[in-house]
Amino acid sequence: MMGLSPFGWCVIVLVALAAMGLPIGLSMVGASIFYLLAAGLDPGTAAEQILNGLYNSYVLLAVPLFILAADLMNTGSLTDRLLKFCLVLVGRFRGGLGHVNVVSNVIFAGMSGSAIADAVGIGRIIIGMMTRGGKYPVAYAAAITASAAIIGPIIPPSIPMVIYALVSDASIGYLFLGGVVPGLILGVAFMVMNAVISRRRNYPVEPPVRLREVPRVTVEAFPALLLPIILLVGIYGGVMTPTEGAAAAAAYALLAAALIYRALSGRQVYGVLLSSAKATTSVGMLIAGALAFNYVVTVENIPVSVQHFVGGFHLSKVGFLLLVNLILLVLGCLLEGTTILLIIVPIFIPAVKALGIDTVHFGVVVVVNIMIGLLTPPFGLLLFVVANMTKQPLLAIVRECVPFIAAAIAVLALITFVPETVLWLPRVMGYKG
Amino acid sequence: MAPEIPSATRGVAVGRWLQRRADDVAVVLIATMFVSFLLQIIFRYVLNRPLGWTEEVTILCWVWVVLWGASFIVADDEEVRFDILYNAVPPGARRAFTIVASVGLIVLMALSLPATWRYVLFMRREHSAYLGMRFDYLYSIYVLFALVCIVRQVRVAWRAWRGTAPAVASELPGDVAE
Amino acid sequence: QSPAKMRFSCAFTEQDLRADAYKAFAAAMKEDFEFQPFWGNTLFKQGTELVALQRGNLEMANLAPQDISKQVPAWSLLTSAYLFRDVAHLKKTFKSDVGREFVKMAREQLQIEVITPVYFGSRHVNLKPDRQIKTPADLAGIKLRMPPGEFWQFLGESIGVNPTPVAFAEVYTALQTGAIDGQDNPLVLSKLMKFDEVTTQFVLTGHVVGYDVMTVSSKAWNMLKPEQQARFRAAAEKAIDDYTAKFEGQERDVVTALKAEGKKVYTPDVNAFRAYAQKRYVDKYGRDWPSGAIERINAL
Ligand code: NA
Ligand code: NA
Repeated sequence: MMGLSPFGWCVIVLVALAAMGLPIGLSMVGASIFYLLAAGLDPGTAAEQILNGLYNSYVLLAVPLFILAADLMNTGSLTDRLLKFCLVLVGRFRGGLGHVNVVSNVIFAGMSGSAIADAVGIGRIIIGMMTRGGKYPVAYAAAITASAAIIGPIIPPSIPMVIYALVSDASIGYLFLGGVVPGLILGVAFMVMNAVISRRRNYPVEPPVRLREVPRVTVEAFPALLLPIILLVGIYGGVMTPTEGAAAAAAYALLAAALIYRALSGRQVYGVLLSSAKATTSVGMLIAGALAFNYVVTVENIPVSVQHFVGGFHLSKVGFLLLVNLILLVLGCLLEGTTILLIIVPIFIPAVKALGIDTVHFGVVVVVNIMIGLLTPPFGLLLFVVANMTKQPLLAIVRECVPFIAAAIAVLALITFVPETVLWLPRVMGYKG
Repeated sequence: MAPEIPSATRGVAVGRWLQRRADDVAVVLIATMFVSFLLQIIFRYVLNRPLGWTEEVTILCWVWVVLWGASFIVADDEEVRFDILYNAVPPGARRAFTIVASVGLIVLMALSLPATWRYVLFMRREHSAYLGMRFDYLYSIYVLFALVCIVRQVRVAWRAWRGTAPAVASELPGDVAE
Repeated sequence: QSPAKMRFSCAFTEQDLRADAYKAFAAAMKEDFEFQPFWGNTLFKQGTELVALQRGNLEMANLAPQDISKQVPAWSLLTSAYLFRDVAHLKKTFKSDVGREFVKMAREQLQIEVITPVYFGSRHVNLKPDRQIKTPADLAGIKLRMPPGEFWQFLGESIGVNPTPVAFAEVYTALQTGAIDGQDNPLVLSKLMKFDEVTTQFVLTGHVVGYDVMTVSSKAWNMLKPEQQARFRAAAEKAIDDYTAKFEGQERDVVTALKAEGKKVYTPDVNAFRAYAQKRYVDKYGRDWPSGAIERINAL
């Protein structure tokens, strides 16, 4: 034990602090300070890395703004109207509300960058609709809500992609485009899964919405449906950068809620801003901790060692991707996603570039992995969110999640082995990768 | 800082008032960031007159909202934590865990405080590009954060020692943004 | 006793030609210290290396002169548009008396030793619209992408464009979608980033001779014995000269390639640009500059 290097001790301190219940961000800050002290380096470097890292990472500004946009959409009645519209679309099929759940998540994904916000916003309404009168078991409603929410950050906009762009220098614009097709495939896969389960368990169909109500429902949902289009045209039509797109989305949600739907008071706006500030702080502290800890990892030359290690095994691109998928799926069970993106993924980046793997392709694969991690026990944030909303035991929800996790892993395999599923759309839009 | 401080009614009232003012600051920071961003888009693409300072204001607000929020508006049990082991052990062990982790962090933060202070002071010779703000002022928020962090951890450890810690069976670690 | 380790930070990646130059330099100095490079700003973010050098967290950096001018305003002269005519003039200036005065300022005020400039190409205007450019007036209303930050935005204004801050990674898309009309990176980089695919012309304005400076913290520098310092300077000069020759060859190849693919590549009225830009710089920053310095550099 005496022979352990400062870095070895630093990892032990990190794990110990986190396991004893200290917030993860603070654990990383503490472990980094420990390393600096143990290695005889300047302990002020932790503050230096955190402050300069936050100050010089312009893209990160998208994080608070996407959080704000999602909060505003959930507080205004955009979400409600969207659900009514989806009911018209897919309610009449077997397991109709399950389909409504998935489709509304796909549409909502085009406006929101956060899976947790989607699960809370959509789940708050649809879980009630699904379980009223015992139509669906509560655990199933919770499971499909959590699963469908992972589509959110795969279809743009996407906070995890913004963070990945930061660590990889890939273009946010092309990353966003790369997620569109995989996100839609995932939506289809979940609907197939829901159809199969609903047929077997004979889940109900919804009474068809009367034809003369269809125009009204559509018109009412229209402003909500318009936002993804405005964002796409705005970002790819050159009016705004993806970061500015986040601000525009928030402004649109605010205007739509206040003017068109008249569903927002001053007090509510204050509440939304405050909860966005809290969420921003939570993510920001994880980023801060990772900034300090990444300094330690870099001083120790870990990414270069990993690159040489991978090089030593003469792994092919596919072999490497398979290995990364495996590692990330296992880590996803245990760790929080932002931590994986900020600490683990940068370690792989030099090897990715050396192997000639496209960084946009790799980014989408990584984000899908991290989204699956939100569903896998023992540490799955989406599981916690829906368990908390429904007061169901975690295990019951996990059991109902299994088919959806399996479907998501199948989609992950598809996008890993067929890079065109990711890269086709960016290339159509001019990406040269 | 948290509204649930068990104390005399007057103390609670003062605490609540302070908490609300701390919240106000965070709300102003987020709102400023949002408005600056909108101005930036409007001036660049609608009026074809790019503004430079908006970028600096938004970044300033971002740095401050994170560290201000971590200091004053996010409660101890609202931050993201890895609590599988923590939740699996009996209450006595949990208290021991909390005390050890808090004391560990207090020691580390305190040991690095002088160097942190020197770094922030050193930054007085650099200025932000547009508004010319001195970086020592800009970065002073970190010193505040470090100090408040120590104070809060002392309170957490003290409560665990006394056995008055709020029962944190935290299933839901706040809003996280995956 | 000499420092055991030289921690080195730079913005370019290990694939860059400059990395080879620094590696060649390090190989020549391997008896004197262990060179520990952190390419691509992995250890310290761009713009934060100077403070890291000053505070002893870094021994060596490939530093942008703009970073020095943040703490020594006089250095803004060395970052101004149309100061250096070409790489030979740049090198000559740093070896001249006036150049040594600037190096001395950095040593005395910042405790860093500036060894040599490292050229990485002149910035040229690269446009999507097919408009003939002769003078700054022809660039009026052109939305030219400049890196974010006041220094760069002013550089844009000084050549008559409407400077638009866009992150480097987004430039290709922004050109393609028309969010910006052009960009102004050195030719080799523009070709590498495939900006030629979404633009029609390269106007060889050469408004800034792009360079960084190889810099060592005074603390690390003073630990070297005089003969080590001499060896250091010689090894640095040789490595950078070899690199510069190679890089200039690349620049010529890129011009040939761009012409071959049918892009317009031409030189505008550089004197008109120089007069316009130098006046703007003198108005804005002139009072920070040592009197007579600009004339002395112009005369070199
Ligand atoms: Na999304
Ligand atoms: Na998990």
